[in-house]
Amino acid sequence: MAETILEVKDFGIEFHDHDRPERVVEHVDFSLQKGEILGIVGESGSGKSMTALAIAGLLPRKKLRKEGQILFLGEDLMTMERKKLRSLQGDEISMIFQEPMTALNPTMRVGMQVEEALRIHHPEVSAEERKRRALAWLKNVEMDDPERVYEAYPHELSGGMRQRVMIAAAMVGNPQLLIADECTTALDVTVQAQIIRLLLEINQKEQVSVLFISHDLSLIRQISHRVIVMQLGHIVEQGDVEQIFNAPQEEYTKHLIAAIPQVVL
Amino acid sequence: MKTIREWIKKHRNFNFFAGAGITSLILLVALVGIFYTPYASTEMNAAAKNAAPSLQHIMGCDNYGRDIFSRVMEGIRNTFFISLATVAIGTFAGILVGSVCGYFGGLPDDILMRVNDALFAFPSILLALVIISLLGTGTINVVLALGIAFIPSFARIVRSEYKKQVTLDYVQSARLMGAGHLRLIFVHILPNIVPVLLSSVMIGFNNAVLAEAGLSYLGIGVQPPEASLGRMLSEAQSYLFTAPWYALFPGLVIVLMVLGFALLAEGMTEE
Repeated sequence: MAETILEVKDFGIEFHDHDRPERVVEHVDFSLQKGEILGIVGESGSGKSMTALAIAGLLPRKKLRKEGQILFLGEDLMTMERKKLRSLQGDEISMIFQEPMTALNPTMRVGMQVEEALRIHHPEVSAEERKRRALAWLKNVEMDDPERVYEAYPHELSGGMRQRVMIAAAMVGNPQLLIADECTTALDVTVQAQIIRLLLEINQKEQVSVLFISHDLSLIRQISHRVIVMQLGHIVEQGDVEQIFNAPQEEYTKHLIAAIPQVVL
Repeated sequence: MKTIREWIKKHRNFNFFAGAGITSLILLVALVGIFYTPYASTEMNAAAKNAAPSLQHIMGCDNYGRDIFSRVMEGIRNTFFISLATVAIGTFAGILVGSVCGYFGGLPDDILMRVNDALFAFPSILLALVIISLLGTGTINVVLALGIAFIPSFARIVRSEYKKQVTLDYVQSARLMGAGHLRLIFVHILPNIVPVLLSSVMIGFNNAVLAEAGLSYLGIGVQPPEASLGRMLSEAQSYLFTAPWYALFPGLVIVLMVLGFALLAEGMTEE
């Protein structure tokens, strides 16, 4: 776990779409090692999703100012040429979205969408090879019948299946960094557990670093190696998962942990 | 045969079938007209001047004694071709302009949409009139003029659809996979606006039929002696009382054509 995949330094975002500038993220510093799962937890509006979108390069360029650095394998994503950034997106950095219902193109067959990253970044890969890899990944995400799913349209699949398709599509290019932004929020608990297990498995097998963003502390605890707690655009506390959950230093973290619903059976 | 019957039973889409029926009947008549007409469409016959419908001339004859049915057959073809080409130009350019505006937003959107508004400000017939007076008459020019006049409404529809689609997660997700702008616009988003586009193409086709008829009626559309449905109507108006069938049949065919396509569009949106 020596290699640093991602390093965010003094990162901030300021919106300029109203009369007064609005700071939504400020002084965010963290790093992510190879094969590590870093959980970012925080309430709505704490800036966790904005940070994720910025790392993915999906923030609009207009109407907001970004500061600091986002170093991916030592190169700054924020000052990088557009073309270079595009060659990283989908190939080295990929993302799973919150809503599996809308994150897939309704008019495209699932197989096509899983292959998309390969088609764009590796045109040298033949069609058969592409299909083979797509099917392999559909199998990896525990589809019972990859061939059928490959030919299916998204509306023929359940929410959990679609989210697994998203994971397959995100992983098909063997990225170094996988960003999961609230990727289990729209799913029910049993499916959540399956997705979490899947992500852990993929993380183990492929040594992909995962940035796992959620407001659900118990999920964060299950999946993460290290945790960042964010509030109002600032990092409140960061540390190993055990340290954060067993010996929280900050008041806010203590409150959050105390607020985890306990189910007594 | 059985599967077709089952399909019909399952869908039971009256609008669609009625529309498809009427439209294909009219197209069939036009198609036959290419190879066979009862009389040559320009063949004059002094003896049959303004003749009433009879077994020889089922729709009667016009003021030159030309067989109206033969001319209607040719007229449908001209009207159909002009309308189709018009809608094709309007749709194609509309998709280009609308997708750029809706997808990129910002300055290109502002500029193109203001130009669009300026074009929109004129009724399409008036705009076509201006363009024809610049280009001169002739079938191709009519198509061009109407096509240009049809761009703004298509561009607007396409633009608003793109604006809606571009914020959806699947577009973001495809963008994150590294898909370029062109790929996003045409491969990812375009198929998603086809349903909306389809019904507006159908409605646009109807408007084109009427616009062509209007232009020909004004005498700047298809030039004599060629027949188009609108041209026939305009020639018929002087004989409205002596030979009412001259106006009746071309008018009826226009009504049927528009009705057929309207029903077809309605049926397709239901599907």
